[in-house]
Amino acid sequence: MNAPALSAVIGQPVSRVDGPAKVTGTARYAAEFVPDGLAYASVVSATIPRGRIRALDTSAAEGMPGVLAVVSHRNAPKLPYLERDQRPPVDPKSGDQLRMFQDDKVLFNGQPVAVVIADSQQEADAAARCIGIAYDETEPTTTFDPGRGRPPSEETAKGGRPGAAGRGDGAAGLAEAATTVDVTYVQAREHHNAIEPHATIAQWDGDSLTLYDKSQWVQNVVVEIAHVFGIEAGKIRVISPFVGGAFGSALRTWPHVTIAAIAAKMTGRPVRVELSRRQLYHSVGFRPHTLQRVRLGAAPDGRLTAILQDAAAQVATYEEYAETTLQPAETTYSCPNVATAYRLVEMDTNSPCPMRGPGIVTGLYALEAAMDELAVALNVDPVALRLKNHADINEKTGLPWSSKALKACYETAAERFGWADRIAAPRSMRIGTDLVGYGMATAIYHADRAPAEAEVILFANGTAVVRTAASDMGPGTYTSITQIAADELGLPVEAIRFELGDSTLPMAPVHGGSITLVSVGSAVAEACAAVRQKLEALTGEGSIAERLRANGLDRLAASAKASPGEETKRYASSAFGAVFVEVRVDEGLGTLRVKRMTGAYDVGRVINPKIARSQCIGGMMGGLGMALMEAAEWDPRFGKVMNANLAEYLVPVCADTPALDVTFVPSEDTVLNPLGAKGLAEIAICGVAPAIANAVFHATGRRQRHIPIRPEDLIGT
Amino acid sequence: MRDSVRFIRQGRVVELKSFGPTETLLDHLRLTERACGTKEGCNEGDCGACTVAVGTHEDGKVVYRPVNACILFVGQLDGKEIVTVEDIAGSGGLHPVQQAMVDHHGSQCGFCTPGIVMSLFALYQDAGRATPPPRAVIDEWLSGNLCRCTGYRPIVEAARTALSAPPDDMFTRSAEATGGVLQFLADAEDVFVGTDQRFFAAPRSVEALAALYERHPDATLVAGATDVGLWITKQFRPVEKVIHLGRVDGLDRIEDVGPAVIIGATATYEAATDALAGIDPDIGAVVRRIGSRQVRASGTIGGNIANGSPIGDTPPMLIALGATLELVSAKANRAVPLEDFFIAYGRQDRQPGEFVAGVLVPKLKAGQVFRAYKISKRFDQDISAVMGAFLFTLADGVITEARIAFGGLAGTPKRAAAVEARLIGVAPGSAAAWSPAMEAFAEDFQPLTDMRASAHYRLETARALLGKALLETAGAPTTRTRVIGQREARQEGAHVGA
Ligand SMILES: Cc1cc2nc3c(=O)[nH]c(=O)nc-3n(C[C@H](O)[C@H](O)[C@H](O)COP(=O)(O)OP(=O)(O)OC[C@H]3O[C@@H](n4cnc5c(N)ncnc54)[C@H](O)[C@@H]3O)c2cc1C
Ligand code: FES
Ligand code: FES
Repeated sequence: MNAPALSAVIGQPVSRVDGPAKVTGTARYAAEFVPDGLAYASVVSATIPRGRIRALDTSAAEGMPGVLAVVSHRNAPKLPYLERDQRPPVDPKSGDQLRMFQDDKVLFNGQPVAVVIADSQQEADAAARCIGIAYDETEPTTTFDPGRGRPPSEETAKGGRPGAAGRGDGAAGLAEAATTVDVTYVQAREHHNAIEPHATIAQWDGDSLTLYDKSQWVQNVVVEIAHVFGIEAGKIRVISPFVGGAFGSALRTWPHVTIAAIAAKMTGRPVRVELSRRQLYHSVGFRPHTLQRVRLGAAPDGRLTAILQDAAAQVATYEEYAETTLQPAETTYSCPNVATAYRLVEMDTNSPCPMRGPGIVTGLYALEAAMDELAVALNVDPVALRLKNHADINEKTGLPWSSKALKACYETAAERFGWADRIAAPRSMRIGTDLVGYGMATAIYHADRAPAEAEVILFANGTAVVRTAASDMGPGTYTSITQIAADELGLPVEAIRFELGDSTLPMAPVHGGSITLVSVGSAVAEACAAVRQKLEALTGEGSIAERLRANGLDRLAASAKASPGEETKRYASSAFGAVFVEVRVDEGLGTLRVKRMTGAYDVGRVINPKIARSQCIGGMMGGLGMALMEAAEWDPRFGKVMNANLAEYLVPVCADTPALDVTFVPSEDTVLNPLGAKGLAEIAICGVAPAIANAVFHATGRRQRHIPIRPEDLIGT
Repeated sequence: MRDSVRFIRQGRVVELKSFGPTETLLDHLRLTERACGTKEGCNEGDCGACTVAVGTHEDGKVVYRPVNACILFVGQLDGKEIVTVEDIAGSGGLHPVQQAMVDHHGSQCGFCTPGIVMSLFALYQDAGRATPPPRAVIDEWLSGNLCRCTGYRPIVEAARTALSAPPDDMFTRSAEATGGVLQFLADAEDVFVGTDQRFFAAPRSVEALAALYERHPDATLVAGATDVGLWITKQFRPVEKVIHLGRVDGLDRIEDVGPAVIIGATATYEAATDALAGIDPDIGAVVRRIGSRQVRASGTIGGNIANGSPIGDTPPMLIALGATLELVSAKANRAVPLEDFFIAYGRQDRQPGEFVAGVLVPKLKAGQVFRAYKISKRFDQDISAVMGAFLFTLADGVITEARIAFGGLAGTPKRAAAVEARLIGVAPGSAAAWSPAMEAFAEDFQPLTDMRASAHYRLETARALLGKALLETAGAPTTRTRVIGQREARQEGAHVGA
């Protein structure tokens, strides 16, 4: 396919095609389907961090009005939980997933131990509270003790999360450095807290199962549940037309999906499992608490001689979730000597999982904060230090970048922000009683692509349907893919209907890692090209509609599969960005306010500037939350998150939104994919937290080496 | 006596005769009506996904307010109109608020969207608003609507567009008819639905309330339900008997009686804001930050006092001002100084069958200076870590009386007696003279460390607040020390080097 030409639709700020459904309340989410005879479930969670269930008294609950069944390990069907040939990329590479109601073991506080199914939600909830459980507790492990850290298993290492990686000789590089920093950072456990709680409705029809589920990957749910129940994948259908935000929390197939299917099987009714906000904190994953040590060495001219970065992250005992935390240490800068060490600290907790910018955003926080400390130690401008160490190629793989406009990002963002006005010395800028701080950081997130299939059907009435099993958890897949199809078919956006979120549609990869647009978009573009070819082979002329009618056809369909090719072996691909932040600090009260943020991004070709800008602003605000508010407060006595709600787990509100300036630097990556795009969901949260932390140092002269940074950290001098 | 509740829904009067006393409006909508446009994100009043607009008839007009349907009991809607996101698009297409949300990309995943649309819809209906309102007003109206996707910016832009013209939609056009129906629904009957063991009641007069509460001293009084709602949805407490105070005539009065203002127990935060701000603008500034717009539309001053919470925001201010609580029962009426009402954590001076009727708040006298500061991690919709209120009486440049009360430092809202004593005779501007008072904090308070703040932070902040209050009293420009108006103080001055 040729390089993209100017388009009437692509690159245009088309409004969301799903907008009207969302603003009128007609968009239907997983919990809102109402199959005939729907029953409701209430999940009962364990209240101890480790042990066994000694006794379970369900008699009172069973006798309560409306109750259809109480299911626990005592009466649940024994399920095969077959091992998959290859674990999906969204699952941990080693360990055992949590099995529902298969034995009496309790592996963490909050683990589902029973479920009540009743005619109404109120009846199910009321009965769930009447279940009496006695436990035999065993000594739990509920503290984060990095001394217990162990390297990841071989399977995890093979999956790109090794215990040790790097190039050159880290120690030697550090020894030869004229200037070094050696600093340790902590990042709190964070929860996705999408506004839609996770929910699943399961409905059996004989041996066929339909699941309405909140999912970022409907076809993986099919395969997963087929293995859990030992049934044919062809018997399962998963439907998920709208996802109310997920940020990674709906990548995997969580245990409550299995619970819904068990409950439906045992009652012979369709059953809804909707997790409460409180349950979400222990029922789906989270961004793990991570401790990092960064050592940097630099020559007198500022060139990096060594990057040594170690990370220790919390992990569950039963399953090994690991992150690509230390990848930025290898790819962000040019440096001959890099050494990373990754450790996992087992705790009695539910398993963590990817959260927006997984791993990268964590590693980048420490790396970019340390770079700021190095700039101070060298007495050079933080931007100049980064330019000095610009990575012209990906030094981890030795491959050239398929495209890279990071220098333009620094330049554009610095210019728009007014970085030149910064007085370098900390505590040197004030307005009234407020200290003013400027900080910046680099953003990087690898750009990937996966195979995808799509089907396009043209109709004689001049409309078209595009179909693929992708998801749209909010970023605008419905819209951007519609634009791509409209462009390829020469039809107006309104004439195209895009169907997604159904496992019976053509194959689509996971909706995560910012790969959907380039992967699915490429397949759609090819399917459109294929149907156009078929159209051209028809006799007659005129519009699509006219030609179909002239040939006596009511429709014309074509499918295509698009896969990444050899280019991935010859090039490294990544989105880039630069984030600049101004903060104001009142030390008398420890109050901190982000005044403005400027981001310039290299995300390849922008398919829809309206959607892209909105994505970036949302990501930047996610980063603000990460830097200043979001943290699970962990109580080691119970192995439990204490602020498991939205009153005490703080996320930014409208008033916290500062002036936000987003620019996309000119860029096009036709190596990665014919559309020239690189994907942009994850990149937007990257670099924000360190930029804020660096600005706080600039304002106050005191380093805060942990996020979130709280008023108590800033009060007084 | 009426054995049903009635409200307007989609232009029709709906009458409910059987419903649970604590059945929430959200469950009614989503599970009973199966109208799923209104979302459930938290069920605790924190996220705003469940926001609907409630219409009432006031001073000849229909007024719409955003409320959290998840913590409001369906019985509380008696005599009101319920408007949800499904109801506002006319035959001519989307409502201006909805259209602007589409045009500005104010929706990503869309799950917060219905709540945001309804908050903006309620603001849209406000005839007195600017066209468009300034950012601070939009922030305030959206303070109870969390969005994890958009970063809010596109929503603010949508709000500006939608609110750039005065209200003109099918609701403004049918306001007169709606008002007529609402007036008809506001009958003089006492409402009682259920049995003596399990009921939802809404008496119409103070006498009927007193009599009913005497008969059922174990009933739960409900004003705005912004606390009681959480007992149900979060603590799963069994509440079988509900006496709703919202229909009691006169209990929501706000009256200026010369040297003082009387705030009736069921006056909402929103209704009381202006009267309280009239005593001192700081009170208004704090009240405007309590919870969210939704919480302020439902939550009451009486509830904020009666719940006895150590972190309620109004009690410290009212105590510093020397407010008196009016308590009423079938047997007697009495008045107690508000500070004496709070006995210990979880214990108040309230007898069985007794309820709060109102609070009498003295105005400032000549020579008095008042300051109040709410300190929380997040500016909006966040429980205070420390809430401090200060009333200084001055003569000849020195303090002759100090009344200082804090929330968040003890098991109740509490006066700082030792600190107050050390301030007598002190000139507020002379920082050197403050130190005995600063040291006395440790005598008055031994705060706890919890997840909201550490003990150290609480004490340091309390001291810093006293310092600010004294400096301001001495005449330091408030813009320099303002805590509450932080965001308003977005001075755009040039950056100065040290
Ligand atoms: C999301 C959210 C945020 C909040 N933020 C804040 C905040 O920032 N600051 C703050 O101070 N509070 C906050 N609150 C708490 C709450 O809004 C207040 O405490 C409110 O004032 C309670 O009033 P209500 O009318 O809703 O009380 P209700 O819930 O109706 O009642 C509260 C208690 O008082 C009793 N009661 C009510 N009226 C009377 C009466 N007349 N006589 C005797 N007893 C009575 C009830 O029986 C109950 O025990 C928040 C609540 C929520 C849900
Ligand atoms: S559902 Fe979150 S405020 Fe009601
Ligand atoms: S659009 Fe997803 S939470 Fe607001």
